[in-house]
Amino acid sequence: MLSLGSFAFASPWLLLGFVVIPALWWLLRVTPPAPKVLHFPAIRLLLGLVPPEETPARTPLWLILMRMALAALLILALAQPLINPTAGLPGNNSLLLVIDDGWAAAVDWPARQHAMTELVERADREGRRLILLPTAPGEAAPGPLGLERPADAKAQIQAMRPKPWPTDRAAAQKRLDTLEFQPGMAVYWFSDGLDDKGAAKALLTRLRSFGPVRFIAPPGDGLARLLAPSKGDSRDLAVSVQRAVLGEAPPISLRAVGADGRLLARAEAHFPADRGTVDATFKIPTELRNRVDRIEIEGEATSGATLLVDERSRRRPVGIATEAASGSGQPLLSDTYYIERAAEPFAELRRGPALELIKRDLSLLVLPDGDAGGAEEHAALRSWIESGGVLVRFAGPQTAERENDDLLPVTLRSGGRTIGGAMSWEKPAKLAPFPAESPFAGLEVPDDVTVDRQVLAEPSVDLAAKTWARLTDGTPLVTGEKRGKGWLVLVHTSANTAWSNLSLSGLFVDMLRRLVQLGQGIAGTGDGVLAPWQTMDGFGRLEAPPPAAQPVPAADLAKTAAGPSHPPGFYGTDETHRALNLSSSVPGLIEIGALPPDVVRETYVRAPEIDLRPALLGLALLLALIDILVGYGLRGLLRAPGAAGAALLLGLMLSSAGASAQTGTLTPHPAVSGPDRYTIEATSELRLAYVKTGDAETDQVSRAAMVGLGNILSRRTAVETGDPMEVDVETDEMIFFPLIYWPITTTEKPLSAQAAERVNRYLATGGTILFDTRDEGSGGGSYGITDTADRLQTLLAGVTVPPLVQIPPDHVLTKSFYLMQDFPGRWDGGTLWVEPVEDRVNDGVSTVILGSNDFASAWAVDAQGFSSFAVVPGGEAQREQAYRFGVNLVMYALTGNYKADQVHVPAILERLGQ
Amino acid sequence: MNIPTRHEAEALAGRLPPLLVAAERVAATVVQGVHGRRRVGSGDSFWQFRPYAAGDSATRIDWRQTAKSERAYIRENEWEAAQSVWLWPDRSASMEWRSSRQLPLKSGRAALLLLALSALLIRGGERVALLGDPRPPALGRAVLERMAATLARPGRAGGVPETVPLPRHATLVLISDFLAPLDTLQPMITGFAARGIRGHLLQVLDPAEETLPFEGRVRFEGLEQEPSTLISRVETIRDQYQARLAAQRDGLASLTRTYGWSFACHRTDHPPHTALLALFGVMSGLPQQVRALAGA
Repeated sequence: MLSLGSFAFASPWLLLGFVVIPALWWLLRVTPPAPKVLHFPAIRLLLGLVPPEETPARTPLWLILMRMALAALLILALAQPLINPTAGLPGNNSLLLVIDDGWAAAVDWPARQHAMTELVERADREGRRLILLPTAPGEAAPGPLGLERPADAKAQIQAMRPKPWPTDRAAAQKRLDTLEFQPGMAVYWFSDGLDDKGAAKALLTRLRSFGPVRFIAPPGDGLARLLAPSKGDSRDLAVSVQRAVLGEAPPISLRAVGADGRLLARAEAHFPADRGTVDATFKIPTELRNRVDRIEIEGEATSGATLLVDERSRRRPVGIATEAASGSGQPLLSDTYYIERAAEPFAELRRGPALELIKRDLSLLVLPDGDAGGAEEHAALRSWIESGGVLVRFAGPQTAERENDDLLPVTLRSGGRTIGGAMSWEKPAKLAPFPAESPFAGLEVPDDVTVDRQVLAEPSVDLAAKTWARLTDGTPLVTGEKRGKGWLVLVHTSANTAWSNLSLSGLFVDMLRRLVQLGQGIAGTGDGVLAPWQTMDGFGRLEAPPPAAQPVPAADLAKTAAGPSHPPGFYGTDETHRALNLSSSVPGLIEIGALPPDVVRETYVRAPEIDLRPALLGLALLLALIDILVGYGLRGLLRAPGAAGAALLLGLMLSSAGASAQTGTLTPHPAVSGPDRYTIEATSELRLAYVKTGDAETDQVSRAAMVGLGNILSRRTAVETGDPMEVDVETDEMIFFPLIYWPITTTEKPLSAQAAERVNRYLATGGTILFDTRDEGSGGGSYGITDTADRLQTLLAGVTVPPLVQIPPDHVLTKSFYLMQDFPGRWDGGTLWVEPVEDRVNDGVSTVILGSNDFASAWAVDAQGFSSFAVVPGGEAQREQAYRFGVNLVMYALTGNYKADQVHVPAILERLGQ
Repeated sequence: MNIPTRHEAEALAGRLPPLLVAAERVAATVVQGVHGRRRVGSGDSFWQFRPYAAGDSATRIDWRQTAKSERAYIRENEWEAAQSVWLWPDRSASMEWRSSRQLPLKSGRAALLLLALSALLIRGGERVALLGDPRPPALGRAVLERMAATLARPGRAGGVPETVPLPRHATLVLISDFLAPLDTLQPMITGFAARGIRGHLLQVLDPAEETLPFEGRVRFEGLEQEPSTLISRVETIRDQYQARLAAQRDGLASLTRTYGWSFACHRTDHPPHTALLALFGVMSGLPQQVRALAGA
């Protein structure tokens, strides 16, 4: 193997063949091409002619060059040139594979795994043993290093996943101490390219003592990047992106993702060429911001490129200290109602006694007018404020009367001040623009906000500095004081509309929003230990925590380093959890810089080995073909059409070699199929339907009857029906059919609960079923007398059949299309039972019609359109009547009680006539 | 040998009817303006009166003319004794050649010219025959058909006609490439000329034979069992070849001039009627007139 960078020859000694090229040159020069052969009548004149100059005919230079190129191609092809050759394994003993499987390796893990697998396969071919040394600490204590067979090593590598925590190369180096030196070893370090405070250098030094080292790392712009919470004090959601290598780089896309995986916002971070850290800000509304669960670097799935966002920066829980349950009888008079309505969109509201509230995470505690409690509560609230809480109090009648309340930013004068009102000359005061240093600075003051009453502060030196909002007359409306890390805020008017209409304005919402942002959020003091709730795997995906993950004391979470026992992720419970991000345990990203000269550096992404031999041989063959053509041409054996044909053939050959067969894809036929087929068929046309009884003969007669009735309908009426459909009440939906014919047989099984439910629903939603007992001819007689009634009852157990009456002589069925009084089918004389007309449900249309005359047999026609059955007692008049009943029935089902109104027509006409 | 020969003959015969038509057309375009023999001789039409001279038969005195004056006149008719023209096309293998598909074969052009000339001669009342054909010279269109049929049959090899006995003062037209050595042509010409026969030689050559347009290394092979020759670079000997061809032509020209014969050259890439006109001109003895016609 002769290697020239990314190019190599597998059999370089064959390149010696190039020494024959000059000889070939000479040979080709002196060997003239075969002469053209011409028949010539005047040859006698040519005989004995000698050319004056003795320059022998030479092969043309271009032909010589072409033939030499042909020879050179052959020699090159035989030497088997390779692009990106797979280098042979150095040494002749076992291979030591040092594998960085920390979080940074997840950037290109598949490529890594592929490279490692490839190496193991090559070791397998050469019969070399392997030693695997992962550098990231595992969940279990590592065993001693040992030689592994390639197959085992391959299985291990394929099962290997990047860990979500950083590597520990010092520990890995310690494990190397157990390994004794063997001559001929070779070391491959599949690195993530990141240094960790010199440990990488030390490890490299140690590795070099084993044998030649190949250091495989991603290129500089392929190194992992790290997301960390932004150090800056921004009101917007901000993160900082860190990288290991300086220089120009394309902008990085960041995604803010909700807990449900929805993309909420996108931001771009563009590294200045000389900076390793850049801040990115998501400009999103607070409502959306509160839903952000994690921030990711787009296209980079590592635990370092994922920043979990927890409650501290997200939720802004607001507590409203109230004793009363919310939703009292008069909410509009309540103190807390307006605060709740205003804060709801952007904050998580909690209600309860103040002491209970501050036990949990809380960024803001609202204390409406009233008592803050006794001395104990005061002390607790004071210390809560000292440690960073924000307490917002609203004034009110109680506040105005209290004295010695130390939970106030200013000293209050006793009693309130009434500015406007019925008994006052003064007008209600309006708000002055907010001072520049106020947290409300920049909010627009609407004109219609007025304050009727307020509590007044005792004048003091620092009153002006504490005042965040003023009325137009200069009296303070909102005062605030920083106490410790927290704030104590007083609104000098009430939280309800009793003293002011401030709480009705949009300004109130904005002010509350500002106040909520003021609060940083304080860890609740109640939770002592946070158990892992969801932890990240190496690719930054949240999953159930591994068994080795251990709880973290809440106080120590910020200081906890990510590792096998504390993988990065959410700790706590579903409701309240805090994030342990990798960034807190990764101080910074530093590239492993220059390597010792004997260390070979490679990258993971390697172009595959390309063997140029086939291409070269193909080219040589092509040249040979051209040479043959040229030779023929020089001898005059090739006339122009032949040459064109040969060239065409050659071109065709080449193009067909390159062409790939294309298979046409069949566009799926848009035929209706699948689950919707039945629905579409049933609804595409008006269809008469019959119930499938399971008795093949009955079903066939029913179908023929529907066809026959459909023919009559389309001939005589405006109703045009499609092909009849069979309905299986057990499985099919019936709701699409206005009328269903249901013959009763002896063999039908009782309906299942679902089918009965379906029939009930059908009847309740306006369907009509014609039950046909068909036993009039078999001596059965009327419904309720024979065993048919029993069968029907059994069959329809569970179906809510309404009470039925014999059809009255003025029923709509008797006049919906034809005027008729009796309703024969194949038999005559059976009674037709319908719902009583008084039940005005379903538009007065009887949902159930019950007969016994075997209507289907009277309607049934065969394929030629002739009647299938004779009617009894007989005569075409009876069949005509039977058809007329069918028409009336369909009209009845379709038009409802329309005909019933026709009784009023004479009266209407008479009135119109007047 | 049989099948290709017959095939060639069939191919040739298939081509001849249009050749005949073409020959007729060419003859029709030329025959205008060329009238009669313009000589005294035995014929039916009047030619001239001349004074009676001693020795003339008294029966030849034209009495009516004599009565108009004091001298006796003899009426002379135009000579209408037909001339016999023997035609010979070279039908050797070397004539079956052309350098390009766009050109006619030399033998084809030779046959075309020969038939056209025959048509002209027959229309002029001359008797024509093919040299080597045992049949005597004859008149009429049937002769043309017969000649065409004879030409359709494969000919004998050999670039020089045999010196067969011909009537004295007959006219002989030889159409060939005349590439045979001069010393084989000379006995033939001498032999014919010794019998007082007037001959016309038309050399039909392919343009490639005249210019030798080939280049590079070429092995030339003959069509009549000549030895082949390998020329390493044809372009270098082109001048020599053309000099040899010119020498051959000069030799032919001087040879024919010696015996009062005519010699003309024709290239197959030139239109056939130029050669026909030239031939017609030298044979009719009115070269200027014909040239003027040809020019028009």
